[in-house]
Amino acid sequence: MDEEPERAKRWEGGYERTWEILKEDESGSLKATVEEILFQAKRKRVFESHGQVRLGMMRHLYVVIDTSRTMEDQDLKPNRLTSTLKLVEYFVEEYFDQNPISQVGIITTKNKRAEKLTDLAGNPKKHIDALKKAKDSTCGGEPSLYNSLSLAMQTLKHMPGHSSREVLIIFSSLTTCDPANIYELVKTLKALKIRVSVIGLSAEVRVCTVLTRETGGSYHVILDESHFRELLMFHVKPPPATTTSECSLIRMGFPQHTIASLSDQDAKPSFSQAHLDSTSGGPGLSMGGYFCPQCQAKYTELPVECKVCGLTLVSAPHLARSFHHLFPLEAFQESPLLLHHRERFCEACQGELKDKSVFTCLSCSSVFCVECDLFIHDTLHCCPSCIHSRSAP
Amino acid sequence: MKLNIEGLLVYFPYDYIYPEQYSYMLELKRTLDAKGHGVLEMPSGTGKTISLLSLIVAYQREYPLEVTKLIYCSRTVPEIEKVVEELRKLMEFYSKETGEKNNILALALSSRKNLCVHPEILHANIIVYSYHYLLDPKIADLVSKELSKKSVVVFDEAHNIDNVCIDSMSVNITRRTLDRSQANVETLQNTILKIKETDAAKLKEEYRRLVEGLKEANVARETDIYMSNPVLPDEILQEAVPGSIRTAEHFVGFMKRFLEYLKARLRIHHVVQESAPQFLKDIFEKVCIDRKPLRFCAERLRSLLRTLEIADIADFSAITLISNFATLVSTYSKGFTIIIEPFEDRTPTIANPVLHFSCMDPSIAIKPVFERFQSVIITSGTLSPLDIYPRILDFRPVTVASFTMTLARTCLCPLVVGRGNDQVAMTSKFETREDFAVIRNYGNLLLEISAIVPDGIVAFFTSYTYMENIVASWYEQGILENVQRNKLIFIETPDAAETSMALEKYQEACENGRGAILLSVARGKVSEGIDFVHHFGRAVIMFGVPYVYTQSRILKARLEYLRDQFQIRENDFLTFDAMRHAAQCVGRAIRGKTDYGLMIFADKRYARADKRGKLPRWIQEHLTDGSLNLTIDETVQLSKHFLRQMAQPFKQEDQLGLSLLTLEQLQSEDMLQKIAQIAHQA
Repeated sequence: MDEEPERAKRWEGGYERTWEILKEDESGSLKATVEEILFQAKRKRVFESHGQVRLGMMRHLYVVIDTSRTMEDQDLKPNRLTSTLKLVEYFVEEYFDQNPISQVGIITTKNKRAEKLTDLAGNPKKHIDALKKAKDSTCGGEPSLYNSLSLAMQTLKHMPGHSSREVLIIFSSLTTCDPANIYELVKTLKALKIRVSVIGLSAEVRVCTVLTRETGGSYHVILDESHFRELLMFHVKPPPATTTSECSLIRMGFPQHTIASLSDQDAKPSFSQAHLDSTSGGPGLSMGGYFCPQCQAKYTELPVECKVCGLTLVSAPHLARSFHHLFPLEAFQESPLLLHHRERFCEACQGELKDKSVFTCLSCSSVFCVECDLFIHDTLHCCPSCIHSRSAP
Repeated sequence: MKLNIEGLLVYFPYDYIYPEQYSYMLELKRTLDAKGHGVLEMPSGTGKTISLLSLIVAYQREYPLEVTKLIYCSRTVPEIEKVVEELRKLMEFYSKETGEKNNILALALSSRKNLCVHPEILHANIIVYSYHYLLDPKIADLVSKELSKKSVVVFDEAHNIDNVCIDSMSVNITRRTLDRSQANVETLQNTILKIKETDAAKLKEEYRRLVEGLKEANVARETDIYMSNPVLPDEILQEAVPGSIRTAEHFVGFMKRFLEYLKARLRIHHVVQESAPQFLKDIFEKVCIDRKPLRFCAERLRSLLRTLEIADIADFSAITLISNFATLVSTYSKGFTIIIEPFEDRTPTIANPVLHFSCMDPSIAIKPVFERFQSVIITSGTLSPLDIYPRILDFRPVTVASFTMTLARTCLCPLVVGRGNDQVAMTSKFETREDFAVIRNYGNLLLEISAIVPDGIVAFFTSYTYMENIVASWYEQGILENVQRNKLIFIETPDAAETSMALEKYQEACENGRGAILLSVARGKVSEGIDFVHHFGRAVIMFGVPYVYTQSRILKARLEYLRDQFQIRENDFLTFDAMRHAAQCVGRAIRGKTDYGLMIFADKRYARADKRGKLPRWIQEHLTDGSLNLTIDETVQLSKHFLRQMAQPFKQEDQLGLSLLTLEQLQSEDMLQKIAQIAHQA
């Protein structure tokens, strides 16, 4: 019951013409159009997967969140800020799920200033904690694109050349307050190969169009909350690497997690290297951890770049999970249900095929329903029935 | 691509064509075939210029005997440059496609410094220049009188052509003009004395010529070499210059007397309005100046200046003006009025007498053009309602058509805001324009819109005075301060330098993400000549209906004349005039199919059928019943939605087949049928 008074009443919300998107079909019914809209929305993302291109797998991404006055607008419920933070939380989780050897940092901008909420790091927990905390912060003033970008640039420009440097701006305001000419900064960003993408929450702003066009990023404006989510998820996939980016063999270390047994007399708790310079965080003393195979420095979390010898430390499952981006599962063939004459059950969930289209895997010709098709392409990244038949003999 | 337009092969220098361009060319061709005049309305940004050029050039090549010349008139220098640019593209395409060397000569006359290659005009196939070269009798005589009859004349951006005509025939005389004329006359007198001592033969020669009359000119006109000059009506040429002003000294004395008379007339304390015959009667009674010598004044002065070999004619602009006035006032007994005002209405204490000799009938200036040339095309983005132009310009068109813009997405969003959130009606109506609530609601509208529209917003007011009042009151109410948190504010002023400075800064603010609002005035410089493409104008707000200042005596006289002569009711003309300016203002934001913009009409009167029906069809089409008489809140919601829709990715492929056609698509049967519906015959 606590929630009830906080939510905006219908009459407090905006004037919407909800009827305009609806069209009657020939019999005068609305149902078909609504279903069509939902169905199209579901399928959309699968189409956009690109084929075989070089991808920047090691990503360094700064997410810039506008927390200016305009974020208090209530066109996203309950307001833009809360909605955005929630979606970014979800985004961070997905991001690390799909890009385990990448890092994220978060910057907020308001009152013409930019602040780092979290540094570039590979641990989702820290970011999510920070985002949860940020919900209580107030919005105010104007954002500054220039300050946020130069803050992000200071860190990103030191990242190694083979990794991708990205900035994703979630921009709610229509103005930016800059201390200097932003177009000079855009040139610098371009030279440093930092890719800037923008998701606008209100309308197309010229400076963002130029910024994204010049740096090779993408620029989208949301229509509503679900579209917002979709656009954010678009950035989960690693972007195609620019042909000019360095290409090199990378030394990686695969440290084992070892815990000194309590029975060992010599065992002493030790500091993690990562904790040494971070002011926040827990006590930092622990018994076990990952030890760099090259210099024996200890870390409590992976992936990380060794502070001592500069070796990239990852775990094998991380690398394996990044793998599917390089060999995406081919899109299944869509065909109308009416033309499908074999069994009327989805191969995966065994449910009855009821939607008007079914999806067929091109290599094993199994048939799936739309829900399973999405699940396979978004999460599994391999066709269950192909795997099954391969292990069968 | 190469097009086949009813059997005519047209080279079109682009790979794609808009359906309305094709339709436009069809109508144009029919007009040329019929050797008649046409009125064509097509929205800006749909490639009017190139359609016109490619069709007429093709027509010239196909029928070199029917059409020998294209005269393309535009308003401003940048527009002329644009035309030349398009023409260059077309020429390149021609020489690429046909392989032969370019045999078309085009000539652009832009400013005085590029003037004038007189003999070459006769050979050029295409001439691009300003309206004035054809309409203003003073210049037309120099530049355009030798143009062939078989020319096609195009007036682009012609929605204001009646005012250009009127301005070119009207004369305003202030005390300053008279003083300068006085000085001119003295210079003339001295020069005559000097010449008399050195070269008396010259003056005698001139005298002899004047006795014989202006026979040469007469012969030339009868043999159809010259276009007739409205200042110099035919009958003058058949007579000799009257004796009283034949010798140079007599003429100078005559002018002195005339000047003294005008000076006396300006020394008044109340407004005088009289017709040309009344004026002539008065001048005859007071200083015994007859009608006949007055009529020869302009020609006589020109002859004198030629004889005296005066190089810098610009110095004599004042006396030339006076002599033109003398000729006009004695030539036309109808269509003109004389108004002498001792002071301006706004400053009744400062004496600043002005004699307005005002033309009320635009057809007088343009008549020779319609009579002389076989086809005259009047075209613009906003010519609605189409039937009024033939009436006020007094001609009979063979084609009258309005074309809509085919759009793959609805990129314009006209909204009529009639009420504030407090339900108080918003209007600039005279009775309520000082109303506190109305001004506050206008302020709220601007504030709300400034918070949701990105980059540039242009707001138009009905007049400078109204803008000043409103802005002052917004300042007191603190509205301006709030608006400035969203955008910077720039204001147009009557000072050209100030305005262009404001414009420059405005564009800079739009460019770098700061966002800006330009407050300007309908009928001002900004509303007529400046385009706000893409981010420079994402929304246009029209505060009020831009009626012309109706208390002006000149306007009242004109309205009366229109009622008596053309049976156009005062209210009809005023509404027409207001709506064409409103359409011109809001049309500033949409300059092409990839552009998008909001058009906000902030006055409840726009919702009425008589106003709405006078908007161009391409705007009217998108003005549904649902977007009339909105409150500010509703406007904001609709605008937000529109801006988000428009921000979605839009590629050229989306347009193909709908609003952009390849040659194959154009030739399909379906499309041809659709195209036939685009042109809306009025």
